[in-house]
Amino acid sequence: MLKLIVQRLLALVPLLFIVSVLTFSFTSLLPSDPVDLIIGDAGTQQQYEMVRERLGLNEPVHLRYLQWLGRAVQGDLGSSFFNSVSVMGAVMQRLPVTLSLTAMSALIAILIGVAAGVAAALRPRSWVDRFATLGATFGQAVPNFWFGLILVAIFAVNLRWFPATGFTPLTESPWEWLRSVILPSIALGTSSSAAIARQVRSAMVGVLQQDYIRAARAQGLPFRRVIFRHALTNALVPVVAVLSFQITVLLGGALIVEQVFAINGLGTLAIAAVRQQDIPMLQGLVLVMVGLVVTVQLATDILYGLLNPKARPS
Amino acid sequence: MRTLIRSSILSLALGAGLGLATVAQAEPSGTFKYAEQVKLITMDPQQQSGSGVPYLRPVYESLFEKAADGTAVPLLATGYEIDGLNVTIPLREGVSFSNGEAFNAEVAAANINRGVKLGIIEGLKTVESAEAADEYTLRITLKEPDPAIIDSLCYTGGMMLAPAAMADPTIDRNPVGTGPYVHSKDQSREGEVQVYTPNPTYWDKDMIGLARYEVWEIPDDTARLNALKTGQIDAGNWLANPQAAIIDRTAGLKLIRNTGGLNYHVIISDREGTMVPAFADRNVRLAMAHAIDRAAFGKAVLFGLSEDSYQPYAKGNWAYNPDLEGVYAYDLDKAKEYMAKSAFPDGFSFDMPSIPVYQSRLEALAGFFKEIGITMNIAPVEPGTLARRSRTTDFPATNLVWNTNTDPKFLALRYIYEDANYNPFKVKPSEELLALAEAGLESVENSVRGPIYQKMAAKLADEAFLIFVANSPILIGASEKTDANPTVVYRYGEDSINLRGLKAND
Repeated sequence: MLKLIVQRLLALVPLLFIVSVLTFSFTSLLPSDPVDLIIGDAGTQQQYEMVRERLGLNEPVHLRYLQWLGRAVQGDLGSSFFNSVSVMGAVMQRLPVTLSLTAMSALIAILIGVAAGVAAALRPRSWVDRFATLGATFGQAVPNFWFGLILVAIFAVNLRWFPATGFTPLTESPWEWLRSVILPSIALGTSSSAAIARQVRSAMVGVLQQDYIRAARAQGLPFRRVIFRHALTNALVPVVAVLSFQITVLLGGALIVEQVFAINGLGTLAIAAVRQQDIPMLQGLVLVMVGLVVTVQLATDILYGLLNPKARPS
Repeated sequence: MRTLIRSSILSLALGAGLGLATVAQAEPSGTFKYAEQVKLITMDPQQQSGSGVPYLRPVYESLFEKAADGTAVPLLATGYEIDGLNVTIPLREGVSFSNGEAFNAEVAAANINRGVKLGIIEGLKTVESAEAADEYTLRITLKEPDPAIIDSLCYTGGMMLAPAAMADPTIDRNPVGTGPYVHSKDQSREGEVQVYTPNPTYWDKDMIGLARYEVWEIPDDTARLNALKTGQIDAGNWLANPQAAIIDRTAGLKLIRNTGGLNYHVIISDREGTMVPAFADRNVRLAMAHAIDRAAFGKAVLFGLSEDSYQPYAKGNWAYNPDLEGVYAYDLDKAKEYMAKSAFPDGFSFDMPSIPVYQSRLEALAGFFKEIGITMNIAPVEPGTLARRSRTTDFPATNLVWNTNTDPKFLALRYIYEDANYNPFKVKPSEELLALAEAGLESVENSVRGPIYQKMAAKLADEAFLIFVANSPILIGASEKTDANPTVVYRYGEDSINLRGLKAND
């Protein structure tokens, strides 16, 4: 297992390098220019040239990249083009927000997905199964931002049960934190719960037909124990693989849902950085997102190995 | 330029009483929450190039500010005197910055000189330099006569930063001014909310009514609307969009139409016909102006929140010319007549740059122009680049907005002079237009300048290279409680609330 972790961490280095080169190159190819925003509509050509010079934008792209890389390997991702906010500081401040949202969404997706999948698998072709299948189809088809708007209209604007916008840090008030993440997490987690439900149902139907399940039931083991201890544990093995993908999807989806709920996470930061062509901020964000995805995949591999001894690396 | 002297005593009285229902205040209490549609970029007013002034106003005070009728009245200044290229400004004594540093003429001069050096603020571009005449008298030397200099000092150009803040490379997040509130970095959350608390050293303590003022960064219009509906914010600013229209018709909410606004217009840059010969023909330009159904445009594109526009200034502005109302009234027959009279009766085509926010506007205009045989090809440009592209000869025409509260002298600087920012084809203005633009600089009195600029607007309408379409007022959405709060005073021509004397709703 340790070897797997070391291998993955080593693989992260070239991956981050390639991603940083691509991000830097693609951003530099865009025709828009952050200097336009800095000097405003009243700016003159002279000011434009002055600010470009100050930001080092007149240097060739490869030189700018090498300068950035030189600082980045020392842990300095620089600061925004637009102010003195450090990239690392801005990203680290927002990371817990997006992680909160993603983690709660994943939890909701697992709870709903597993429950619906098991219920459907226990009574195939029953109304429960059909309802779960219909729900899964709906969940996957509905865009999460639209669903988020509906949730806000009902539960925030009309019923006033939850705040319509904003995020309260967990350290400030656990109760308010929960209230602030519940609606966006439902909006975000619904489509993943649908995907998980489908996978759980399919895996459970297969597992429930296995001999060892029949044997367990024949031995008179309690129904719940058979289902949750023996069947579900085995059915979850393929689900873990789906979960890894779904968490990556949730991270991406959080970028949009954050806008709907005015949550100041990595998504909001990313959208502002793209709009402003704030290259240092974009670079930092992309690196962190890649790091996150790789970490999730690594965690999934470890979990996969724990659930399925055959899958453990020799 | 005539010399104008303002009485210090009168100025002091005006400054203190600026459009506010001011009464001696009890201890500051309560919170007021305002939502801003643009993200905070910088808290350095001298590097502020666009929106976002609501983040600055709690901390920074300017030398002058606008009274309810739009006239400039002293705030940190106590009066002013303009004599040719010399502007003398006596300053308020006994004022200190929130970090304890004293406010005096030397500091004020350093502020103005820094703003000039940075070169971002349009209103300071006529300033040569500033110096302290004595401890509390600031002297500004102009490069050229500028009747709008005091007006410019009402905004970011006149905001005063503490000396230590000016030397601080992180000033964009550590503002230090003389204002009624101080920025609380500890309580603020970067990118989400900026928190301000009372300034213990404020020179006019009775004007501090709040224990806490918050500016929330909510760029998404629907999220901001939901925050207003649920009471998470007390007020916020909007552009003319569907969400603002919803506020306008939602019980319990109020859409305030503040003075001034954004005047959307088409600019025929190539009016000598270098790229598009038809644009040299005045009949063509007049045909285009008459072909626009402004009422339909306002209803369909700006959700009924705009006013038809035929000139740069909005009703109520001292430069507004009432005679121009309806000068280009929608008249398709007239437009076709003009086209028939022109050298291009069969029409022509041209490219118009577009950014996403203007796409629907341009689609509407393209439809109107199609009716008279003109094909306008909408050419998308990268968001954020429209202004720069409009300053180049890439396009024969462009489309922008003009802030109707901007002094008319800037109209000449942007569009009229041969070297104007948005005159990329370097077209020489007509003698009459140039004479009017110059005459407008010869007095500081709006009563004298008003008629001149009214004539200039009429001449612009006649030459028809600036075709004004619709003016969207500054829109502020407020809760019912905010609307009923007598201490809420919206700043003239701004999308912010005057914080001096503001109390919480409850």
